[in-house]
Amino acid sequence: MALQEKSKLQPAPDDGLVVRIRGALLSQEGVLFLILVVSVIVLSLNTDRFLQPSNLLTQARLLVEVGLVALPMTFIIITGGIDLSVGSILGLTAIMIGIGWQTLGLPLELAIVLALAIATLCGFVNGLFIVRVGVPPLIMTLATLALYRGLAQGISEGRSVRGYPEWFTALGQGDFLGLPTQIWFLIVGVIVSWVILARTTFGRTLYAIGNNETGARFSGLNVDRAKLLIYSYSGFMAGLAGWIFVSRVTTTRSDMGSGLELDVIAAVVLGGTSIFGGTGSITGTVIGMVLIQLLKNGLALNGVTQDATIIVIGLVLIFAILVNNFIQGQRQKS
Amino acid sequence: MTEPILVLRDIEKRFPGVHALRGVRFDVRPGEVHALLGENGAGKSTLIKVISGVYQPDSGTMTLDGQPVQFSSPNDAQRRGIATIYQELGLYPELTVAENIFMGHAPRRRFGPFSLIDWPTMEARARAILTELNIHDMNVRSRVGALNVGNRQRVEIAKALSLNARILIMDEPTAALTEADVEQLFGIVRLLRARGVGIVYISHRLQEVFELADRVTVLRDGSYVDTRPVADVTEGDLINMMVGRTIEDLFPKMPAQIGEVVLEVRDLWREPHTRGVSFHVRAGEIVGIAGLVGSGRSETAQLIFGTLQADRGEILIDGRPVKIRRPADAVAHGIAYVPEDRGQQGLVKAMTLRENSTMAVLSKVSRLGFLQPGKEKIMALEAIQQLGIRATGPEQVVNKLSGGNQQKVVVSKWMASRPRLLIMDEPTRGVDVGAKSEIHRLMSQLAAETGLGILMISSELPEVLGMSDRILVMREGRIVAEFDRAEATQERIAAAMMSSEPLAEKEAAAI
Repeated sequence: MALQEKSKLQPAPDDGLVVRIRGALLSQEGVLFLILVVSVIVLSLNTDRFLQPSNLLTQARLLVEVGLVALPMTFIIITGGIDLSVGSILGLTAIMIGIGWQTLGLPLELAIVLALAIATLCGFVNGLFIVRVGVPPLIMTLATLALYRGLAQGISEGRSVRGYPEWFTALGQGDFLGLPTQIWFLIVGVIVSWVILARTTFGRTLYAIGNNETGARFSGLNVDRAKLLIYSYSGFMAGLAGWIFVSRVTTTRSDMGSGLELDVIAAVVLGGTSIFGGTGSITGTVIGMVLIQLLKNGLALNGVTQDATIIVIGLVLIFAILVNNFIQGQRQKS
Repeated sequence: MTEPILVLRDIEKRFPGVHALRGVRFDVRPGEVHALLGENGAGKSTLIKVISGVYQPDSGTMTLDGQPVQFSSPNDAQRRGIATIYQELGLYPELTVAENIFMGHAPRRRFGPFSLIDWPTMEARARAILTELNIHDMNVRSRVGALNVGNRQRVEIAKALSLNARILIMDEPTAALTEADVEQLFGIVRLLRARGVGIVYISHRLQEVFELADRVTVLRDGSYVDTRPVADVTEGDLINMMVGRTIEDLFPKMPAQIGEVVLEVRDLWREPHTRGVSFHVRAGEIVGIAGLVGSGRSETAQLIFGTLQADRGEILIDGRPVKIRRPADAVAHGIAYVPEDRGQQGLVKAMTLRENSTMAVLSKVSRLGFLQPGKEKIMALEAIQQLGIRATGPEQVVNKLSGGNQQKVVVSKWMASRPRLLIMDEPTRGVDVGAKSEIHRLMSQLAAETGLGILMISSELPEVLGMSDRILVMREGRIVAEFDRAEATQERIAAAMMSSEPLAEKEAAAI
């Protein structure tokens, strides 16, 4: 065929093991992992308690709520969107479980299912307005941040719900196969989300949307459906986090989860997902959330006050981004 | 002979995996238009980025007025009198004409301890510069975003002049212009030349080179080929120099078996650009749509592809009416669309060649939604080979490819979907001669061998005439004429495109 005469096909160079390891270490996630390791070493110098299994397991337990929500948030930020309403959805879910069970007299199991359905619906509504009406995600979810929180407060009328049965609190406080029960939810969530993002056509669609939504649309990718799904997924995961939250603290209040969105976004962005969309990974998000949780705990154990802890976390965030920018810049040049 | 202002010798520039410039030389004299030619990927863009200070050469020398010089940044080059007008215009749409012209160097006045912008002086000077350029119909207080492309370009040129540019680099300045705007632009270029400005002019349209340029330099694969006075070369010479081979057949149309009707459109409406359009495309047939910019060609194509929604009308595939609400529906019906705007619509430029080449056919490289990396890689390699895409490999980011090669990626991704109907909107715009003829050959081959129906929108009449079995002419949202290949001539098509005969009367007569 005449078209082939100009083809200058070069076989891709076969990556040696050394090259691959070097590549992995210099990747966004690799750099972050090194920062994580260094932080752990530094934090464990002054206190024995930090690295004790019981402490680490407790931290894992505390990590789950932010962690679950960070997974769909990674998807959303990769598409160039954002979901600020997750904390409010968590609060609304908590209230719906309490109200459904105590005020409406539903079986607790049914109340949980109903609350999760409502949480998913909340996410779906976000997605619907973003897709159909074209409201920017930041504006839409800022509005529902207020709206869903307001609903939670209105429905609960400021009362808290207590007295949950023992089987209910097992999820938030118990152990399963030697690990805090809820961590299994996170493990499954991480694996499923990682596979979806890295290995499926759906994941590819998300990256394409984040890099060039018009181009994705003109390629016949179903952009609208993808967005509806990820905002619904976000609502569902916020609901799941709400359920676990209530189970862990055995009480329901309407202000639960306020500020959650910022912790979640911090973990995702620290994990290397670009706030402008197009790049990011679940691996990065996992390292990001673990790093933040360990910093919080390690600094507290080292006697750092809570205010100072926040400052340190902010500095680490900036530092990680600078280091990454530097290394990625160096890589591009070479 | 006047001494050159700027001289480049033995310029070398390497990027990872690409030797972009090898020993290139180039010079610009005052008062000349020096055309820079070469296929996409030949190194033209890299060279002008070296001249304008965006890139620093790895080696080689540059002298300005006989003195060795190095530009550390585009600003640096600008201060020394080298201005560039890029394909993608670098203006601020929300600011006025005057503000844009004097962006970064507005005239100042003192007010106590403050240094303020001297608005009256700025506007007066902007007006003076426009007058110098023979532009009398532009208000310096207009918002630039409200201007058309031609006028925005004039603002850019005025901006360059306000910086006292002695060398003006114009990268494909006519790519987005209408005929009338092109004429005006040529007038301005001649004016500047007469005033002693050295102009570096890049274009794919050889006709413009002959009309405008004094000398021409040709690059090929990053190497310097030759510099010749335009008066001494023919179009054939230039094409030979650019591609290093002779292209006997610019429009290699093969006879094809014309089959059943694949696509039929009945009375399609969407105001204001599509107003009662009806036509059909048969298997193996190439139907060309000619028309001026704004005649509704692209909008009609987008109605068929589902990126726009029709108000009313019917689309039939294989004789069955279909509903197309989004591109995914169109793809499912075997419709493919190579859009006009490659960067925005055709590609996701930040992603790799592999990811782009499979984007329209993800279902073919996946099972139950799971991607199969092996299949994907094979598909990308096939695309590279079949279309002769010049890339370092499937993992190269599309952004780094030249325009012609990017277009080949767009074509390859739609070929992979094995469509029944392929819509091509300006398939060879901004594509060099070599890649152009390859794309044409491919179109011809696909129609003849696979029975693909092709609907081709083009503003280049030779392309329309050369490639089409049948030609439709659109004007003001309607199809106003239809010609068979045999009866079509450039004059007849142009007459139908531009006729000023009011359409409403014609319609009234028809009813």
